[in-house]
Amino acid sequence: MNMATTNLPAATPARARNLLVAVGFGIAGILMYFGGLFGVYLRERSQVRSSGGTWIPDKAHIELTPPGMIIWTLLISVAVMQWAVYSIKRDDRQHALLAVGTTLVMGAMVLVQHGWQLSQMNLIADEGPTTAATLIYTIVGSYMVAFVIGMIFVALMGFRALAGQYSSRQTDGIVAASLYWYSLVFVYFIIWIAVFIAK
Amino acid sequence: MLCADFLEFLLVSNSNKKRKTVTENQTETESNAADSASGPLEIDGLAGVFGTSDHKNIGRLYIFFGLSGGMLALILNILVRFERVNIGSVGVLDFGSSNQFFQTWSLSRTALLFFCVMPLLVGLATYLVPLQVGAPSLSFPRAAALAFWAWLIGILIHVVTVFADGGLGEPDPTSQFAQGMDPEATELSMLSIAMVVFALLLGTVCVIATIISQRPQGMSLFELPLFSWSILVAGGIWVLALPVWLSNLAISWVDFQGADALRYGDVENIWDQLSWLWSQPMIFAFAIPVLGIAGEVIPVSSGVPQRQYRIQQVAIGALGALSFGAFAQPFFNPDVANQAVFVAMGILVLLPIFAFFGGLANTSFRGNPSVSAHLILSVVGMLSLLVAATVSAFHVSGPAIGAIQEIDETWLDGLIMWLRDVQGTVIATAVMEHVLISAVIGIVSGIYYWAPKIFGYQLNRNVGVLSALTLFGGLVLSGGSNVINGILDEGDQVFHSSAYEGVWDSTAVEFFNIVGGIGSILLLVGVGVVALDITISVFLEKGNQEDVNDPWGGHTLEWSTESPPPIGNFSEAPVVDNERPLLFPAATGGDEQ
Repeated sequence: MNMATTNLPAATPARARNLLVAVGFGIAGILMYFGGLFGVYLRERSQVRSSGGTWIPDKAHIELTPPGMIIWTLLISVAVMQWAVYSIKRDDRQHALLAVGTTLVMGAMVLVQHGWQLSQMNLIADEGPTTAATLIYTIVGSYMVAFVIGMIFVALMGFRALAGQYSSRQTDGIVAASLYWYSLVFVYFIIWIAVFIAK
Repeated sequence: MLCADFLEFLLVSNSNKKRKTVTENQTETESNAADSASGPLEIDGLAGVFGTSDHKNIGRLYIFFGLSGGMLALILNILVRFERVNIGSVGVLDFGSSNQFFQTWSLSRTALLFFCVMPLLVGLATYLVPLQVGAPSLSFPRAAALAFWAWLIGILIHVVTVFADGGLGEPDPTSQFAQGMDPEATELSMLSIAMVVFALLLGTVCVIATIISQRPQGMSLFELPLFSWSILVAGGIWVLALPVWLSNLAISWVDFQGADALRYGDVENIWDQLSWLWSQPMIFAFAIPVLGIAGEVIPVSSGVPQRQYRIQQVAIGALGALSFGAFAQPFFNPDVANQAVFVAMGILVLLPIFAFFGGLANTSFRGNPSVSAHLILSVVGMLSLLVAATVSAFHVSGPAIGAIQEIDETWLDGLIMWLRDVQGTVIATAVMEHVLISAVIGIVSGIYYWAPKIFGYQLNRNVGVLSALTLFGGLVLSGGSNVINGILDEGDQVFHSSAYEGVWDSTAVEFFNIVGGIGSILLLVGVGVVALDITISVFLEKGNQEDVNDPWGGHTLEWSTESPPPIGNFSEAPVVDNERPLLFPAATGGDEQ
């Protein structure tokens, strides 16, 4: 058998990774968006506190249990989403779809917990609008919008996988969705620390 | 019906007209048209116009509406300049209320940036980048089409809401001339401008994803044509900076929703939170592609390859790094103008532009430049950008020279105080104007250079030269008068009566505002003649159609295919191994001659 490299067939051209590249730029944009919000939030909070003022209104109820549950839900969803990636890379479409579905259920749980928490915080009910309330609503509201987009993205990639578009030869859609999902978890981690823990 | 015919005429270029093909939905997975078993989908009429996802059609639409947006911006600019002619009394045009003056002023800025410069750049890139990198189509063509239509609808909503007493705030609501704002129109103005920016970002991501993932074999990022490289750098900066601007807008919008806006949504403060995008250093991010266009035009016009290609790429990258200004928000950091990073960026921005210009001059001196409209426009655009960077350095230099006072408190004290006073004057407007108009000049240069490829016709050389002269003359008068008025202490917030309180000589300021008004008219004429030339040469088919495939002896891949390119762009996937594949085909290894 002739093993000369000149007789070997030409290598398959590298696959264009459009989706991964575009999602990478999308993630960068989202991180900068929230970076801008956090920058304003932390600066304003610092100024109010350094002048002896109260940042969170006295009658507001920011409990740690709901955000704690949300962060744990999201951390578990990271593992589940990675399970989807692991499965699709091994042509295990059944488990990949199970993982995508489970991630979406967890996403719905996160949205419900967000909604419940926003309804309970009492940020403006008694003391009227405050700077803190404006910024917290902006951050959490923006996050929920980004999160819903993420759920749609994950669901869309799940449907594409169901239709057979993704397999071990082509995993970009699931990987891209997972990267976006991880970035959302990272953003919430910052919200959890900066807004809810540090108050 | 007439409208449909016109749009169809715009989209269906020369060679494609015969077969009435106005759209194809080639996906990113197809390597070229031959791979498509069923062939391109052919749809006529309005469905074809609104349904097109061909990057070439989308690019043409951006160019057409971008030029229209530029004319709107310059008309508003003329109104603002003539309103500034009378200081301390009712203006020449008498807008009727301080709201309307501010709405006109702010819309002239948003229009120049978001209706003209950015869409023209995104449009040129949408058309050319796939051709320059040898790709059969743009990445995510449907997303690119969505971005265009969202942008167009967004600007229409924004213009309507601004003139319906909306807009991005009212800086002086207690003024006797204020007439109040319509909250719903204001809210819609904020949302529509967010939609515009989001659409432009989406279009940008489609382009830069194409650059990164659709390059042919052998084309590394260092072998990218300079225009594509500049779009990659500029697009990267836009993707990083514009979301921060959107976050400012989101905070304002949320606060504006409340019964009593506290701070961010207060109509007095909305524009102040957003204005950093039109200030240095951020404004330079929108002129980065001027370097890329000049880097294509000048070597080709000189008939020689660009020398020190890597250094030119580094210069473009450095301009990108120095133009990232999302941190420089005076509303949240009032002392930013005195901080070292801001001052250093404002001064250092001169270096990459100067280095790039030097590299182009060095290249052209070694060749034999053939004078053409696009060459003159490119040189004028680069000169304008160089002047912009010089004015920027002058504008921010007070605190830098002030550092000398750390050594000797009395040395140059008067000069330093004077330079510090220059900050906050209309010199800031002059910097913005120089940068954005230099971008417009660069874009017009690109339109003249690539017109054979884009439209299938060469544009009129004499009209191009006339455009260069009027645009440059207009910029000298308009931008120069703002520099002089800045030195005379006319405040940057010209819609506010306090802007005129400290002027040294009101008569002189009024005189130079008349000069600036004449300059603004010249700028409008400069863009108008380009639109007229396109109308006559392309729509009325009076342009030169000879040798449109490669009339200039181009160096990059877009000149290797037909003009306008067929569906799929290339008959076979190109293979390159250097940045000038038409000068040095892959087999020669790219050795310089």
